[in-house]
Amino acid sequence: MIQTAASSFPQVRLRPWLGIVAVALSILAMWMGLVWAPTDAVQGEVYRIIYVHVPTAWLAYLAFVVVFLGSIGWLWTRRPWFDALAVASAEIGVLFTGLFIVAGSIWAKPTWGVWWTWDPRLVTTAVMFVMYLGYLLLRGLSNDFERRATRAAIIGIIAVVDIPIVHLSVTWMNSQHQLPSVLRPPGGGSPSLDPAMGMTLGVSVLAFTFVYLALMVERMAIEGRMQQRVLAVRSTGAVRREGAL
Amino acid sequence: MRGRTTLVAMRELSAERAQPDSLAAALTFTGMLLLLESLAFGPGRAREPDVASGVFWIAILFAAVLIGTRSFDRDLEDDAIEAIVALPGGRDAIYAGKTVALAVLLGLVALAAAVFAIFLLDLAPALPGHALLVGALGIIALAPVVVLTSVIALRVRSRVAVVPILAFPLLVPQLVAATQGTSAALQGRGPEALAWAGLLAAFALVYAVLGLTIVPAAIE
Repeated sequence: MIQTAASSFPQVRLRPWLGIVAVALSILAMWMGLVWAPTDAVQGEVYRIIYVHVPTAWLAYLAFVVVFLGSIGWLWTRRPWFDALAVASAEIGVLFTGLFIVAGSIWAKPTWGVWWTWDPRLVTTAVMFVMYLGYLLLRGLSNDFERRATRAAIIGIIAVVDIPIVHLSVTWMNSQHQLPSVLRPPGGGSPSLDPAMGMTLGVSVLAFTFVYLALMVERMAIEGRMQQRVLAVRSTGAVRREGAL
Repeated sequence: MRGRTTLVAMRELSAERAQPDSLAAALTFTGMLLLLESLAFGPGRAREPDVASGVFWIAILFAAVLIGTRSFDRDLEDDAIEAIVALPGGRDAIYAGKTVALAVLLGLVALAAAVFAIFLLDLAPALPGHALLVGALGIIALAPVVVLTSVIALRVRSRVAVVPILAFPLLVPQLVAATQGTSAALQGRGPEALAWAGLLAAFALVYAVLGLTIVPAAIE
């Protein structure tokens, strides 16, 4: 038996502030990325797409880890709040994985000469994208709230296996993609970044994280209202059935 | 638990023996795919170990989805799932029993497909023992994921499309390992084939444990 959604959604006072901070940090990150950060000695100006590519990659990982945590939370407690967390994060994760692939493709054209190549990092990222599209598809095909949440939670838990595969594919397999430069594996990675570039990347990651948080709060509020409506319809039906008996 | 798993697996196998429709469909499908491969690529390219093993495993993958979904269709038709779920530990038994039965049936399909491929493409595996090991572990690694996705898609609209959409991305690492391992065994690269076999064993273990832990929650 699931608990009611009404008491499960806390009123978030920070809600309007998250959007404002996200916009302010995004403007700062844009200025730092386009103006303040130095030009790369090898790639020239084109490298600046790193300030979009890496944060979107980080958000894709973060979003799908949150889906995993939300899925465990739902299976463990059956509180609708966790299901709302998972679905909100999955939708935003799919959006940012799409942006991650598009930004990577735009960067690949001037540096590798192609929009797309069958590289392990690219293929595993595309697989991760399809996996979470499947997660959203599955949710859309079932009308029963509890059944939908439970089945989606199982996919949400299993699909998280792909995140380390995506991240470490460049070290495990012969890849054209550069080695990780931020979350570097022990014993190696790409050469470390220039401090100004590193700081710009840090601000960009922070800005994107706030964008994610702002979107999450809004999407969870929508999901909360949808859950309340579903549960209200269900309880009305139960009352009517009892009255009929 | 073991007794009930055996019961479900034996029930699946005897239902398939009485009416081998999914086995017949899977065998025809894999045979057809191998034939089409040799026609599409031409005899020279189709014999290349990478191409032959890739097509072989894609055929097995489709066969697994075909047998897995048909098995649940049969249970839904005669309301057998409700009866098994009602037993204590019935959900675990459904998952484990169906996985065992699917692995056995896939083993038969893979054996027939391998014999057909050897004759059709004139393949001479350099290390047949290694190829058998990779084949067996590949099937054991595929089966839990296919049953898992079939369970999740149970009583869902457009089930026939949903199972491959959910299963195939999850099975990419297993598909790569099985294809590379088979290709290495065909070309006589023993240590490489064994390394891929080890990876398949790890995936089989992870998904079997994960499946037994969380999948029964989705069976209604």
